[in-house]
Amino acid sequence: MAEIRLEQLTKDFGSLVAVRDLQLTVPDGSFTALLGPSGCGKTTTMNMISGLERPTTGEIYFDDRAMSRVDPGRRNVGFVFQNYAIFTHMRVYDNLAFGLRVRKPRPDKAETDREVQRVAEIVGVAGILERKAGRLSVNDMQKVALGRSMIVSPAIFLLDEPFSNLDAAFRAYMRAELKRIQSEVGQTMVYVTHDQVEAMSMADQIAVMNLGVLQQFGTPQEIYNSPTNRFVAGFVGSTQMNFLPAQEVPIELPAQARNGRSVTVGVRPENLSLVAPDSADATLKAKVNLVEPLGAKDVVHVTIDHQDLRVIATPGLRPRIGDQVGIAFDRQRLLVFDDETGEAVR
Amino acid sequence: MASLRLEGVTKRFGQVTALNNVSLEIEDGEFFAVLGPPGAGKTTLLRTIVGLEKPDEGDVYADGERITDVYPGDRDIAIVFQNLALYPDKTVFGNLAFPLRQSKVPRKEIRKRVSRTAETLHIEHLLDRKPAKLSGGERQRVALGRALVRDPQAYLFDEPLSALDALLRLEMRAELKHLQRDLGRTLVYVTHDQVEAMSMPDRVAVLREGVVQQVDTPENIYHRPLNQFVATVFGSPPMNFIPCTVAARNGTLSVRHSLFEVELTGEGLSIRESLTEGAPCLLGIRPEDIRVGTGGGEGFPATVYVTEPLGGETVVDLRLGDRVVKALAPPSIDLVQDAPVRVSLDPLRLHVFKEDGDTVLSAAGANLFSVHAASA
Repeated sequence: MAEIRLEQLTKDFGSLVAVRDLQLTVPDGSFTALLGPSGCGKTTTMNMISGLERPTTGEIYFDDRAMSRVDPGRRNVGFVFQNYAIFTHMRVYDNLAFGLRVRKPRPDKAETDREVQRVAEIVGVAGILERKAGRLSVNDMQKVALGRSMIVSPAIFLLDEPFSNLDAAFRAYMRAELKRIQSEVGQTMVYVTHDQVEAMSMADQIAVMNLGVLQQFGTPQEIYNSPTNRFVAGFVGSTQMNFLPAQEVPIELPAQARNGRSVTVGVRPENLSLVAPDSADATLKAKVNLVEPLGAKDVVHVTIDHQDLRVIATPGLRPRIGDQVGIAFDRQRLLVFDDETGEAVR
Repeated sequence: MASLRLEGVTKRFGQVTALNNVSLEIEDGEFFAVLGPPGAGKTTLLRTIVGLEKPDEGDVYADGERITDVYPGDRDIAIVFQNLALYPDKTVFGNLAFPLRQSKVPRKEIRKRVSRTAETLHIEHLLDRKPAKLSGGERQRVALGRALVRDPQAYLFDEPLSALDALLRLEMRAELKHLQRDLGRTLVYVTHDQVEAMSMPDRVAVLREGVVQQVDTPENIYHRPLNQFVATVFGSPPMNFIPCTVAARNGTLSVRHSLFEVELTGEGLSIRESLTEGAPCLLGIRPEDIRVGTGGGEGFPATVYVTEPLGGETVVDLRLGDRVVKALAPPSIDLVQDAPVRVSLDPLRLHVFKEDGDTVLSAAGANLFSVHAASA
């Protein structure tokens, strides 16, 4: 196990700066997600941690040991990639045992059996150890890949979008499994993803990146409830946050927000509600444009002067397209962003 | 305008049966979705309606008239494919006008219809541009426009939004829904996306391995699925299935788990014939219909496997015996791993399935079940 510390890490590829001045400490034994859209620098960051890329400037520490000149093979790091790296011609058992058999001294048969069995149970392939890996479903192959990396007990475990080839139901299942595995095994885990649901649901803390620059580092709750800027606010959340020019929202904003600058109000769809248009709670009036039933809830799309707003509603009171409705705001949950810098105003 | 009907349509490709005895009635002016995983036969179904595939058995009807042997070009049905095939060297106007020029529509009429279509789709300002100069969403609109401009009896759409990014897809969903309402034409819409199938159509046909599983409103597909497969097509996370056993005692009938018992009451008892005492069955319940509480009180005991905060809500994975089930809780819930909790199941939202997956009973809001903690 190890703490990972990135000090002023920069990586450029010619004129393209992939990662700029990254300062980040991943605590020992934590589950940390690197989250961002494609091209944000998350995979380059991970490649520098593993040693596949060397930083242009800056340093990487595992605990207090500088790593940038250490070979990838000597960093004691385990990997799982999007494309499951397994030996398709081997049995599941041999795939799992591989990492042990190349170790020196080579563990005896009894110890190998014990380790394979232990990891197979953790990742849920104990019942199929004798099967050829190439004959497995995509879902089971990814479990084997996960098990292969775990069995060598690396100090640090890196995962690069490991679930993106899996179907939705299995992804939902694996999210819970991986989170549970990490808490039981206690290894430091760094998980790269562009899927905010994965980052939110599994990680202890999330580093949100955009265009090579760290935007925010915090717990899922901090990232969701107190985003530092408009990018983070818009990137995180299953139904995207609504942004409205402040002058269109007849609500008194905090004093700092009115300090002569142009600002935008951000409000999450679940912090808006539909009320009767003539209700005292109706801050704005709008017209219903589309109702998207999602089962447990509806996303109601409404229009105000060509502005689209999304409102989460309970399925019981489903409005019809074209209905006039009032929109009530949860005033405790409004966010304000500076139009010039995009930074949150508090 | 046209109603469409498929009667006992079977289509085989070598060993593979792509459509297996499919019968469907699509009403005139209806927004009808066909939902299923990749390989379910959705695209073959569309190609059969438009005439690009000839069924091995069965017939296709439009407005009650058999069209199985009618040449595709004479069916007056327009199809929009997943991969937008625009002519790269023609302008938007040229692309829209092409189907009309093919059918020798007079030039003045072409101009009128193209400009009306462009207006409907908000692409009037793009008529002089080539496709390469358009965004993804604009190109998608032009592809739709090429179907609209012909003013056919019915439209068939094959996953037209799947190539677009999430935000654009959202916008186009709203627009398509409006467009279909305004045009009032029959629209058959093929998709594997549950949100599209829930939000846009009047009715949905759920297709699996060439067989129609259920045809119903999105509401009924959600609340009254006919089998376990249909129960999983809507909902995120999907419905939980908990293995149980049928138990009968002193004239009562129940579905029993080591932690709880679901007794059938009132009209629920009417299905007693379809359940055999001692038979294994599955209790189905959606994550939002499971309530998780701390401390004492109602429900039965369970432990927290993990919690997955999503911001607006939290998925709580619960360990019930040797199973993990997912429940949805408000984001304010604060639970640590392995914490003991009390769990209650909403009796108005339960489903019982036979072991083979057929639905025995869905509460769908009716008072058919009562749930008790198992007696110690």
